[in-house]
Amino acid sequence: MSVIAIVALAILVMLAGGFYAGRSRAIAAVSGNTVGLHSLPNFHGYYVAIWTGLPAFLLLAAFGLFGSEAVERLTFAELRRDAAALGAQLEQRLDDDARYQALRGEAVQLRGRVSALNEDMERLRSARGDDRQPELLEQLRAEQLDVLNAVTSAEEAVIRRRAELVDGVALEARASGASLHELAGFELVQAPRERRQLFLSDAIQIANGELPSRESEELAAASEIVVRHQTQIRYLVSVIAVIMAAAGLMRTRDQVAPEFRARNHVENLVTALLLLSSVIAILTTVGIVFSLLFESIRFFSTVPVSEFLFGLQWSPQIALRADQVGQSGAFGAVPLFAGTALITLIAMAVAVPIGLLSAIYLSEYAGPRFRATAKPMLEILAGIPTVVYGFFALLTVGPAIRSLFTLLGFDDVVTQSALSAGLVMGIMIIPFISSLSDDVINSVPQTLRDGSYAMGATRSETITRVVMPAALPGIVGAILLAVSRAVGETMIVVMAAGQGANLTANPLESVTTITVQIVMLLTGDQEFDSPKTLSAFALGLVLFAITLVMNVIALRVVQRYREKYD
Amino acid sequence: MPDNHPQAQIYDSHSGGERPIKVAARDVCVEYNGKQALNHVSIDIPDRSVTAFIGPSGCGKSTFLRCLNRMNDTIEGARVTGSLKIDGREVNDRAVDPVVLRASVGMVFQKPNPFPKSIYDNVAYGPRIHGLALSKNALDGIVETALRKAGLWEEVSDRLADPGTSLSGGQQQRLVIARAIAINPEVILMDEPCSALDPIATAKIEELIDELRENYCIIIVTHSMQQAARVSQKTAFFHMGNLVEFGPTEDIFTNPRDPRTQDYITGRFG
Repeated sequence: MSVIAIVALAILVMLAGGFYAGRSRAIAAVSGNTVGLHSLPNFHGYYVAIWTGLPAFLLLAAFGLFGSEAVERLTFAELRRDAAALGAQLEQRLDDDARYQALRGEAVQLRGRVSALNEDMERLRSARGDDRQPELLEQLRAEQLDVLNAVTSAEEAVIRRRAELVDGVALEARASGASLHELAGFELVQAPRERRQLFLSDAIQIANGELPSRESEELAAASEIVVRHQTQIRYLVSVIAVIMAAAGLMRTRDQVAPEFRARNHVENLVTALLLLSSVIAILTTVGIVFSLLFESIRFFSTVPVSEFLFGLQWSPQIALRADQVGQSGAFGAVPLFAGTALITLIAMAVAVPIGLLSAIYLSEYAGPRFRATAKPMLEILAGIPTVVYGFFALLTVGPAIRSLFTLLGFDDVVTQSALSAGLVMGIMIIPFISSLSDDVINSVPQTLRDGSYAMGATRSETITRVVMPAALPGIVGAILLAVSRAVGETMIVVMAAGQGANLTANPLESVTTITVQIVMLLTGDQEFDSPKTLSAFALGLVLFAITLVMNVIALRVVQRYREKYD
Repeated sequence: MPDNHPQAQIYDSHSGGERPIKVAARDVCVEYNGKQALNHVSIDIPDRSVTAFIGPSGCGKSTFLRCLNRMNDTIEGARVTGSLKIDGREVNDRAVDPVVLRASVGMVFQKPNPFPKSIYDNVAYGPRIHGLALSKNALDGIVETALRKAGLWEEVSDRLADPGTSLSGGQQQRLVIARAIAINPEVILMDEPCSALDPIATAKIEELIDELRENYCIIIVTHSMQQAARVSQKTAFFHMGNLVEFGPTEDIFTNPRDPRTQDYITGRFG
């Protein structure tokens, strides 16, 4: 890294030098009479400095982003080249090994049997009337189960045999004195993909001194290759960066002349910088959406969309092994949608009246002094971390609700209920609604109020008949924004609503929401190819779609309202 | 335009005129947060005629207008003193309910401010809150009469359910006038009603004001001296919070007694 740091420093120095070179050259070009310059001397300086520093720093940034990836690839390619001979030897050995070939043949055959059974069962299932034979279907199913187990063990045997042969080749090579590079390459190429990744990252970490190199000789050998490539690529990048900086400095310094439009060039560069920033923001959003989309598509290839959207059963249990019976769990997300809707509804029932009425009080009735203290205090509510609301829901509101309803004669009231989560979420959302509505009500023109007062209307008549109708679109927008906030809220529901995927409208039962399930599915160690984990992305996509639609509608409504009164 | 020249002499402020006095102000002063906005204004405004208030910006003419329906109550820090009588009843008194007062003193503002409701609901607003109509038919009748009086019925009778804001600026202002006269006020205050309108819409409003004067006492604040000359029978000139001169419009514009009035109407300051 030190090489890169020195180069970066050098480029900085060149950049400063470029600024003064450009500036002084511009001043010299008009022999001190800067009025004759098209652009102020500083702009000439900026221009030269930018073209000195920008390309070189972009190169360094690109190296920082993609450098380690390039080193990894180069290392892998080299190791594979080294191990080419051993690889060929292994292929030969595999072809010659009768036991390996026999096992493979068996596995292929068994798999063919499974698909034949599948076809038979499909036919039976779609059969009508007399052709339906439930007993036969049951029998086939049992048979298929046996065959599936056989397939699994046959494939495991193939893999074991292959591993034995690989080990044999490696042992022989070691005995016959093959180089460590060759052995490391062979191990790497023959390993399964995850092992390969692990091996390479270990090698890189050893090379960077982040791991001690006592793991194995092969790793040490690989890390030597990594170090070599790292050094090469670093020097290459450094030299290119310095050359770029120097070339930029030379070229742009020569451009400096009294009539040169340095100011406009700098202006264009600033515009490009602003554009770049917004493009980064947009691309990030697009990237997130697409990653959600692609993982969801993977999920929907195992679970049909209709089952996910309309299924009533949610129990994404872990499949221990592929082809296991009942492995897919149940991915009907309706209980989650219902739970989300129930909690949102309760939250809105709390937040809309309180928020709206307090907004009306603050904007129409409260004196300026009360308003000046009350409004910030209300907005403090919005600054409380949602985890704290979660405590509050779990430790205070939940037990209170339980004892209240037990007192009223309800049995088995749980602490973690939709009601407690919804109530606390409602409190959290109050400042959203009150603050946004307050702004909207305040932006209703005073002339409308005057008009109403001049007609002999009282204050409350004016509010209910003139101010509220005028502010309604904005208030609806505020409520929709609050709804999308409530739908996406996670922490309170994780802590206070429970995890049971109950399809219920009873607020005293524990329910679960989309966000809670995403948390549950993705926390802890997970394999990223099981439907269980992938379903989190599908849930995320649904959540995203809901909040997007809400926000778009809300913004539209608010916008139309603005047009009317501006 | 009606010719009010022959009658101009009748409206002499000293003789009292033929028309009875509708609004009588004595020593009215207004302070906004301790700052004097209006200084001891005393004036007698006759019924069934148009009285124009003219003067440079900030001279207190709008402030005085807003005293007449107690709209200054809605402004924080405003303090009104002195006696102000409409039909002999004191206005500037704590005992008077401004809500009741405003039902008999209508007001039209500078910028058309129809409520975000239908045309019908805009006009029906006052009758509804004051309970003037006992049935739907009666309300329909009130709305139609008010719209006819405001000269808007022909233009909107087939689209009463459209929002009031969908009308043009001039139509909106006439709608607001219809809204004001729907509760049958005795006095109509107009605060620069044409300043946001084009000349054609202005001409229509002026025509309307002239028709309405047969039934109402109209007080209009205007920056346009031509407008004051065209529509009013009497004119009051305000300057720096003082009522400088009050008399028949004819006299004010042709033969002002005060040099400040002379300067203002000839455009030497303002």
